[in-house]
Amino acid sequence: MAEPFLSVRGLSAGYGETLVLRDVDLDVDAGELVALIGANGAGKSTLLATLSGLVPPVSGSVRLAGRELAHARPETIVAAGLAHVPQGRRLFGGLTVERNLLLGAYLRRDGEIRADVERVVGYFPALRDKLARDAATLSGGEQQMVAIARGLMARPKVLMVDEPSLGLAPNVVDRVIDVCAEINRAGTAVLLVEQDVLVALEVARRAYVLETGRITLSGDAAELRADDRVRKAYLGI
Amino acid sequence: MSLLAQQLVLAVLLGGVYVAVAVGFSLVWGILNIINLSHGAFIVVGAYITWTLFGRFGIDPFLSLPLDALALFVIGYALQRGLINRVIRAPVFFTLLLTFGVNLAIVNLLLAVFTSDFRSVTPSYAGSGLTLGPVVVPYIRLAAFVIAFVVAGLLSLLLARTRVGAAIQAVASDRDAAQLVGIDLRHTYALTYGIGAACAGVAGGLLSTVQAISPTAGDPYTLQAFVIVVLGGLGSVTATVVGGLLFGFIEVFGQAAPGLGAGYANAIAFAVLVVVLVVRPQGLLGR
Ligand SMILES: Nc1ncnc2c1ncn2[C@@H]1O[C@H](COP(=O)(O)OP(=O)(O)OP(=O)(O)O)[C@@H](O)[C@H]1O
Ligand SMILES: [Mg+2]
Repeated sequence: MAEPFLSVRGLSAGYGETLVLRDVDLDVDAGELVALIGANGAGKSTLLATLSGLVPPVSGSVRLAGRELAHARPETIVAAGLAHVPQGRRLFGGLTVERNLLLGAYLRRDGEIRADVERVVGYFPALRDKLARDAATLSGGEQQMVAIARGLMARPKVLMVDEPSLGLAPNVVDRVIDVCAEINRAGTAVLLVEQDVLVALEVARRAYVLETGRITLSGDAAELRADDRVRKAYLGI
Repeated sequence: MSLLAQQLVLAVLLGGVYVAVAVGFSLVWGILNIINLSHGAFIVVGAYITWTLFGRFGIDPFLSLPLDALALFVIGYALQRGLINRVIRAPVFFTLLLTFGVNLAIVNLLLAVFTSDFRSVTPSYAGSGLTLGPVVVPYIRLAAFVIAFVVAGLLSLLLARTRVGAAIQAVASDRDAAQLVGIDLRHTYALTYGIGAACAGVAGGLLSTVQAISPTAGDPYTLQAFVIVVLGGLGSVTATVVGGLLFGFIEVFGQAAPGLGAGYANAIAFAVLVVVLVVRPQGLLGR
């Protein structure tokens, strides 16, 4: 069997002396939509930060398209095709929405960057007339759209999105999740961290459950939805 | 009346020089959160480069400005990348200490190379000026003023229009997010510091034509830059321009104030600073 597109093996990482992630294995295949769920503080954001090179791993391997990236610098990882839309949007306040998007394409040197602004705004028509606005002045939902659009501007092969629905109104949540699915249908693999487990398991094909830094369950999203442990712990049923 | 007009002209022209003195300091403070105590030393290095090129090779001081900028950019980039980057996440006290040390090192190096004698750059046109009715506009100060604004304008354009400018602001806005789009933090910090030093280099070249310089002349410039940035507010080139012009006015009219005289200009500047801090702590144009 061929190696999965993104392949994480035995990954451990943390902050200073405290280990947050222990021996994590996780795969995302080309074009897949995979959900990562877990309670507050389980280490989901730390896992994404380790994959994108912000947190140095203690041990383990991260391979993307066969290339070892576990100790690579963040810019190398972005260039290799792994983009990260961080929890809490983390837009560049003081800069316009358009410049935020252009910064998403910071490492690209091709001539299609301008055209790509159009393309990613196509996912979020609400942003079209806000390109000249200071990103910090947008509503939470619009900021989340910009954050995802900025991630897409890197033309990633895998897009990691951390809790995009956090603090958003239900109709905006639907839109944001729909777009994640659309992005995926257009060919980009998506690793979605989502607090709304039901939503996550509906949209994803496969899912992983992270508990205090370890993957405790994984498999087909539909099966996990029916799993008693998941229902008890995350769906409150 | 004509005295007032003359004073006004001098104030505006002097303000231009102050803009040049402060603009790089403001960039480094605003973006890197470093209060760069070696800024004045960078200015003096720029002044000595211009002085040397003028004295040795007869190069017009204004023509040596690009070289001042280039040399100081290289020095600034290397210092930041090799030294200051190591404490960039440390408390502000450490960067203060480190840039203070860099300042001392540069001053002592300059003393060793150039001695403590005062030097000045006096091109043939040094004494002449444009006569407009009762007002005389010295050519050198006029040129210094124009160049200061060109520098401020270029910096502003760099930040507002270029990819590098976007990266510099992104790093200031959110370090982690900047890394996530692929910005190399260490390079961008060093670039920012280098650009700040380059501005100081140009300011030094300009100052060498209007003031006598010595290796220890830098500290007042650092102090002036600090006051100007606090006056105008952190975070934009425009704010620094306003702060610099205001400072020029305070200097000129402070000296001319009846019953006070030269020695009080700095005192007046600090009094204005205190008032601004009380009324608008973020500075006149600060966010
Ligand atoms: N920068 C940091 N420095 C030190 N500890 C951290 C840091 N960030 C997170 N932690 C700790 O690491 C653990 C995992 O946090 P993390 O943010 O990865 O969890 P999470 O699963 O994303 O939670 P949430 O659902 O609240 O976003 C927590 O105990 C947290 O306190
Ligand atoms: Mg999180």
